[in-house]
Amino acid sequence: MAIERSGDIFDSILLADDMFRGEGYREGYAQGTCRGLMGGRRHGSSHGARLSNEFYFYHGFASTWKYLLQQNTDAKCRKRLKVLESLLGLIQDCPLVDPQSAKLPNDAEKIRAKFRQVMELFVVCLQLDQISCLQLEQRLHVSLE
Amino acid sequence: MSDMKENLILEHRLSAHPDSRCWFVAWSPSGSLLASCGGDKSVRIWGREGDSWVCKSILEDGHQRTVRKVAWSPCGNYLASASFDATTCIWKKKNDGFESLTVLEGHENEVKCVAWAPSGNLLATCSRDKSVWVWEVDEDDEYECVTVVNSHTQDVKHVVWHPNQELLASASYDNNICIYKEEDDDWECRATLQGHTSTVWGLCFDTSGERLASCSDDRTVKIWKEYPSESGQDLSWKCVCTLSGYHRRTVYDVSWCQLTAALATACGDDAVRVFKEDEGGDPNQPVFSLVAQATRAHNQDVNCVAWNPKEAGLLASCSDDGDIAIWRFKED
Repeated sequence: MAIERSGDIFDSILLADDMFRGEGYREGYAQGTCRGLMGGRRHGSSHGARLSNEFYFYHGFASTWKYLLQQNTDAKCRKRLKVLESLLGLIQDCPLVDPQSAKLPNDAEKIRAKFRQVMELFVVCLQLDQISCLQLEQRLHVSLE
Repeated sequence: MSDMKENLILEHRLSAHPDSRCWFVAWSPSGSLLASCGGDKSVRIWGREGDSWVCKSILEDGHQRTVRKVAWSPCGNYLASASFDATTCIWKKKNDGFESLTVLEGHENEVKCVAWAPSGNLLATCSRDKSVWVWEVDEDDEYECVTVVNSHTQDVKHVVWHPNQELLASASYDNNICIYKEEDDDWECRATLQGHTSTVWGLCFDTSGERLASCSDDRTVKIWKEYPSESGQDLSWKCVCTLSGYHRRTVYDVSWCQLTAALATACGDDAVRVFKEDEGGDPNQPVFSLVAQATRAHNQDVNCVAWNPKEAGLLASCSDDGDIAIWRFKED
């Protein structure tokens, strides 16, 4: 009996390690969840932003040229318009808002390939890495006005 | 083996691209001219004069880097050259020589191959940038890109057109072969042929276009056959034969003679080999036998083999040693 009682007295000390480990784990888990969520959100938003920035740049480029060309009726322009429309169609059908979509990587490659064809047709010699999208958008606005 | 050597007789050896590599040779459609290209950035045109072969013209200043492949247009009046400088040059035959007509730009880096469709209206190029491009030629000799396809995940080494349909095949460092067809103004990969376990370097259709030969870094040559597809949608190609055990190194090129159906290979073990299909075999399981080989055809890797389109048994090969060799293949 005496031994048991003395055990009760020292329980809080002897079992403190276990107790605090459990509490620490729960606190750490909560903090980790929060940090993970924030990190994931940041990662997702930067990827989403990069992808939408890229594809809506293509969209803007194609829409602008479509607007500029649509009055022309010669065969060459018609052909170009068709390619532009095909690019716009690909962007429209791409499940850009669904990051889980299995179609997304394949569709993204198709859009990039189509844009390269558009670039060749319009003989726009530029390196997308070297020129900011904004600069080009401004130029396009100028040519529109 | 010594008996077989007799079947492949060396007729001429030309120092085509001295102090450099000779990457590729292509016969003109009439079979009278041979174009070669190499590490010296030039394209050379060779023709027969009496008993020997002479250099008729040198096409320089078209490229800044190695010229990897050359292709004749079906009419024989144009020549396309693909270079590591990321461009493809189109040359037009004029009087005795050739003049540069246009330069096709668009690939991000090394252009590895160029091929003219049988109609002469379409041109295909492929590159280390993993893409295959199809260009359309109009009456004014103007070239316009009709498609860019990214079906491979690595460097695309070779492109070849089907002999009588608008069907294009490509081979890649990703070990696969892709077959493309036009659909609604766009070209799409309709079949992926998987089987090689390393880089696929070369492709060649047979005369009918029903079969395709491929050669690879895995030291084998595979024969693929077209089958009616079950779904009616995608094209169906199956491997019906694998030639293994003959080549000691990478097989860089394969050429199917349009006249005799003999199959020649260019190999990294410096040899040129010729295979023939056994007669009376099952078309679904054809058997090919080695009928001739020149074990030391060149001093270094053999990069290319090409059968003359008009003269049966006349074979050209070229190598890293800079030489072109012209062979006469005789059947027993």
